[in-house]
Amino acid sequence: MSTTENTVAPQQEIIVTGFGGQGIVLAGRIIGMAASLGDNKESTLTQAYGPESRGGACNAQVIISDRPIHYPYVKTPHILVAMSQAGYDKFAELLTKDSILLTDQDLVPTTSAPCPHYEVPATRMAEGLGHKMMANIIMIGFFTAITGAISKKAAQDTVLQSVPKGSEEKNTKAFNKGFDYGVSTLKGKEKRAAGKTGAIAS
Amino acid sequence: MMQPNKSATTMNRPNKIILFLCNWGPHAAFLSLQDEKRDIPEEVLMVRVPCTGRVDRSLLLKAFAMGADGVALVGCSPGTCRYGSGTLIASRNTQDTSKILDLMGIGQERLRFATFLPEQADDLLDFLHVFLNDIKKMGPTTITTSPTGPAPSDQRALPREDVAALIAKYDIHACQDCGKCSSACPLALVGKPFSARGIASAVINNDLYKSDVEENVWSCLTCGLCYERCPSAVNFPDFIKELRHLYRKNTIQGEEAHGGFLHSLMRSMASRDMTPNRWRNLPEDLQIDQESPVLFYGGCAPYFDIFFGKHLDVHTEKILFDGIRLLNFFDVHPRLLGDERCCGHDLLWSGEQKHFGQVARLNVERLNSLGITTMITTCPECYMTFKTTYPSQGLQLNFEVVHLYDFLEQEIDRGAVQFSALDQVITFQDSCRLCRLESRAELPRQLLNRLQPTRFSEMRESGNAAMCCGNTAWTGCDAFSKAMQVKRLQQARETGADLLITSCPKCQIHLRCAMQDPFRGDELQMEMLDLTSVIVKTIQWK
Repeated sequence: MSTTENTVAPQQEIIVTGFGGQGIVLAGRIIGMAASLGDNKESTLTQAYGPESRGGACNAQVIISDRPIHYPYVKTPHILVAMSQAGYDKFAELLTKDSILLTDQDLVPTTSAPCPHYEVPATRMAEGLGHKMMANIIMIGFFTAITGAISKKAAQDTVLQSVPKGSEEKNTKAFNKGFDYGVSTLKGKEKRAAGKTGAIAS
Repeated sequence: MMQPNKSATTMNRPNKIILFLCNWGPHAAFLSLQDEKRDIPEEVLMVRVPCTGRVDRSLLLKAFAMGADGVALVGCSPGTCRYGSGTLIASRNTQDTSKILDLMGIGQERLRFATFLPEQADDLLDFLHVFLNDIKKMGPTTITTSPTGPAPSDQRALPREDVAALIAKYDIHACQDCGKCSSACPLALVGKPFSARGIASAVINNDLYKSDVEENVWSCLTCGLCYERCPSAVNFPDFIKELRHLYRKNTIQGEEAHGGFLHSLMRSMASRDMTPNRWRNLPEDLQIDQESPVLFYGGCAPYFDIFFGKHLDVHTEKILFDGIRLLNFFDVHPRLLGDERCCGHDLLWSGEQKHFGQVARLNVERLNSLGITTMITTCPECYMTFKTTYPSQGLQLNFEVVHLYDFLEQEIDRGAVQFSALDQVITFQDSCRLCRLESRAELPRQLLNRLQPTRFSEMRESGNAAMCCGNTAWTGCDAFSKAMQVKRLQQARETGADLLITSCPKCQIHLRCAMQDPFRGDELQMEMLDLTSVIVKTIQWK
């Protein structure tokens, strides 16, 4: 696939990585389901099994495409979502300058990515909302806002379908929190690029 | 400025020009005009004064507020003032008042200062004719004055049924005479013979006409600290508000501070045809969109700056500009109202319910016609008045009233915003309206806790227990108000802070005034900034 031909890649290859138990696989599944069921695209999910999913560096690989997908494993991720340092270290070498890296800034302290890098304190924000385990939903919101790989509506609907009954409201709040943070981050980046860092015109 | 559509009430009345004439120089000229039976226009009503320098700004404005279409201050030529500085002072007072008239949309040409020597009778006559001619061209002012009711034959006879209704409404009999109000009242604590429960007993015992009770009613800060502490939950601020109204209805006047200047100003705002002329000095970097569904409401700050600029270094209008800057920072380009009136807060709280009602109805009519969804304001008084007082008086607004701090907290909470380090120890002066009357003491603190100062120390009395800045509705300011301000500043200094952050323009004015005390040197001096201005200085995108 050529990276020079257009801006919206017809095929997006995504790796979500972190500790087992953070809801990494669920996050991957929500992203994939949102793309296929909500946005009517093709998508695949392959996930880590075994010891990784019980506490090690776990990962989920998602491919979203406009065309049928022939091979479900990710060789070169367009988007790497890292929610643990170990997970980041494992996949960092696959990043190219055209990739996008999303991290939980408190859990992935050291990075040296060749590509654009966006940070969110997802776990800290989830703690603020009262449930640490919602960090993955916050990350999905952030992912949706920054990458635009799936639409906001599809993501929101899929989150609601995938979470336990009774927790819909909290998870919607978590999603929106992550999404808003993503929108603000992009806006901040744009403002900084335009030289408007503060509120007083310099 | 002339207004195109004037109602019949203001259109057809004869013009009225008040001429304040100095006793010494120009009065001699005026006398010769009278002796020679020259045609002094009958519209000119002369008031002979000992010195034009003593006609202060409140008198000048009051003349307009009472129905004058033009005011001429005529004094002695420079260098001939009997008292030395009269001419200079008169000229400065005229300039200040002109600026206010301009902002109010009355037209600064309606106020003139001129000087004549005793032998310049012809020139004086010319001046009067030219002035009258100009006033005729401009027509009457848009200020409508409402007649005051006849004074009751016996002031002691405050209508018993009104007093009884007041007692019933606020359940004054529930007062247990426990004295918690007095032990909390900042005025009582600085030694003023002031007692909240004393007023309560006076109402019950029909002692409201007694002069010490009257004095207490007018000097209450309505800061709400006693209500906070009252075990019987007697809503003292609201009670005082209505008691003042009862006094006014029976022509018992309050002690208006600053010569009643600000009250004249606000009373004039009750005129339907008046079109204020605001926001003309907007800094260029601010982005405004007159089609925006979000309105930024400024409040009285620019009037304060002109009036208090004579003695104090106050720049409260900058708070408004900084508020707009913060909206711009978050990509909100608000709409501004060129003919913005004041919210009427001070009229209501000094007992003028009639004028308040008129101002409020005009505001509701105008604002509801704009088609906006949100009004954002940074003034705690405007916030409370629009958000709570208007609806409680049956005046519904078709948009949401939001305090700027709420907007900021919501936007900053979205993330990706940070604050640069503030190399100062800070402390915070609560606004009584926001922290107690609206129960929002937490709101400014959420923002304060986001700042990155060296340290944030609360004063000994803070939040719901915070001490008032000394005055609320420009009434009853006296030595005890000053003592309170001094005490408050000492508390601020005790925290070790070098920056005092405020959230109301009046706190800025009152505390700044106390800092000027020449006998204390710089013992009370400290830097003071509004929270909005501190945020604007330090906020940045991550």
